[in-house]
Amino acid sequence: MAEEDEILMEVEAVEAVYGDDCIVLNRFPPHLHLHLKPRTADVDSQQFVEATIELRAGPQYPSDPPYVGIIGSKGLDEERQMHLSNSLHDKAQELTSCLMLVALCEDAVEILTSMNHPEGDCPLCLYPLVPEDSHSEVQPFMKLMSCFHCFHCECIVRWLTWIQKQNEASSGTSNTLSSDVDEENVLASGKLYLRKIMGSTAGNCPVCRKVFLAKDIEHVLNLVGSHNADSDVYEKELVEKVLQCDLETTRRQEFEAILKLQQQCGGLIEPPKNNVLYSRISVQDLVREANEMMNVEASEQQHTNQIVREEPESSSSSNQASRRACDARTRHRRGHTGIAEPASGVPPTGSTSGHRRHSGTRKHGKNQSRWQAKPCPKE
Amino acid sequence: MTTSSTQTRKALSKIAQLRLQKELEEWHDPPVGFKHKVSDNLQRWTIEVSGAPGTLYANETYQLQVDFPEHYPMEAPQVIFVPPAPAHPHIYSNGHICLDILYDSWSPAMTVSSICISILSMLSSSTSKQRPPDNDLYVNKCRNGRSPKETRWWFHDDKV
Repeated sequence: MAEEDEILMEVEAVEAVYGDDCIVLNRFPPHLHLHLKPRTADVDSQQFVEATIELRAGPQYPSDPPYVGIIGSKGLDEERQMHLSNSLHDKAQELTSCLMLVALCEDAVEILTSMNHPEGDCPLCLYPLVPEDSHSEVQPFMKLMSCFHCFHCECIVRWLTWIQKQNEASSGTSNTLSSDVDEENVLASGKLYLRKIMGSTAGNCPVCRKVFLAKDIEHVLNLVGSHNADSDVYEKELVEKVLQCDLETTRRQEFEAILKLQQQCGGLIEPPKNNVLYSRISVQDLVREANEMMNVEASEQQHTNQIVREEPESSSSSNQASRRACDARTRHRRGHTGIAEPASGVPPTGSTSGHRRHSGTRKHGKNQSRWQAKPCPKE
Repeated sequence: MTTSSTQTRKALSKIAQLRLQKELEEWHDPPVGFKHKVSDNLQRWTIEVSGAPGTLYANETYQLQVDFPEHYPMEAPQVIFVPPAPAHPHIYSNGHICLDILYDSWSPAMTVSSICISILSMLSSSTSKQRPPDNDLYVNKCRNGRSPKETRWWFHDDKV
């Protein structure tokens, strides 16, 4: 039956879109459970609501719209659950006689995205998490990853600091108990505390007492007043920002062009000997490094530079060598613009790798002359 | 008797004040069975509790005294019955209450309302109007006006 085939294909489509978040209880007539989250580019610390919905179609589907129900949710009060449930029901009626499973799921995700904020008051200060009137300033808030209970960042960090002081006092390492909680320094020391206990048990949710780990609240660090944040976090953000700016993108593209040229010419093009711009890595170093790479390809694994790894297009050793040499320059160049790199070095993230993929400029002559003329432009 | 700790107590922090003002606002509509006695002292509340109908304490009223520390709600408030305290296996005759949430199990997400409701529920589930077995010994120890928060509580059971 053609119609049944179509419906089976639709179920496959839902599975393909939602992957592990889709549980197929029955293929025909379709009966699905879907775990849906708001669109936050997969940043789950920014997901304040989620819902599991049930889609159960009858044998007459799609002439009869499927039953839509919410079988579980987090962060949604009754009113918002009703809103979700009613909207989906209306949508199902509206789409009667169309294959609508994917559309319903997408609609649910849209609705969740539109109400992706916590409701009610912060349990610690009792003031609203999201001000009712739009004039008030919104205090940063966060959720505990395990239980979805939400707090103002400041409030939870203050509380963690308090626990830390208590623990210190009881273990005798500090005599400064309650009297010395300096409101000003509370945030900074809270972060230090988090770092200290990273990985070990951090505490219990003040609301439900569910144990959370320090890593579950790590995302607070980025939300709480980044102006006085610890240098690590701040630098990380800064480097992220710089890595994704247009200037850096253009620069990467230039390098890609040069790299291509080198590959097409069958190897490294040596820059002029009198190049004085490389103050730290000399040309000879680069060439030596390249040679080493040719000999010991296995050592590739040990290099943590992701730029190399992100481009799996070629495996010839000479190409890798030239790329490595090019890399070294990239890093070096970055140094010239004065970007603060944390000691560990922040590798370009996935999103930046897209920029690195070469996208066109193959004017060899031009690039070559540019390479010769200004191998390391100073911005 | 219970005031000795009050004199030396530190004033409420800014955060504690903000939080208490918010709680006080909500007490305009208090939980069933409770009445806040109006005073201008934000740091010490007196609350009237009425025993729930159908329980051993029906038609009886008691006074709860709630003292807030400087760093409320990080620190638990001190909550005692103003004598005469109800006769209950977990309430001492000096008004001290053996209830874990007031001490070890305090959480800053708790409020005066939630404490009150816990205490009323503790009263309501009682099956006998008896003092704790160690009442005299304990009350004797506390004669110098010691706060129940300095007691090392041993939480016997959660039956009543």
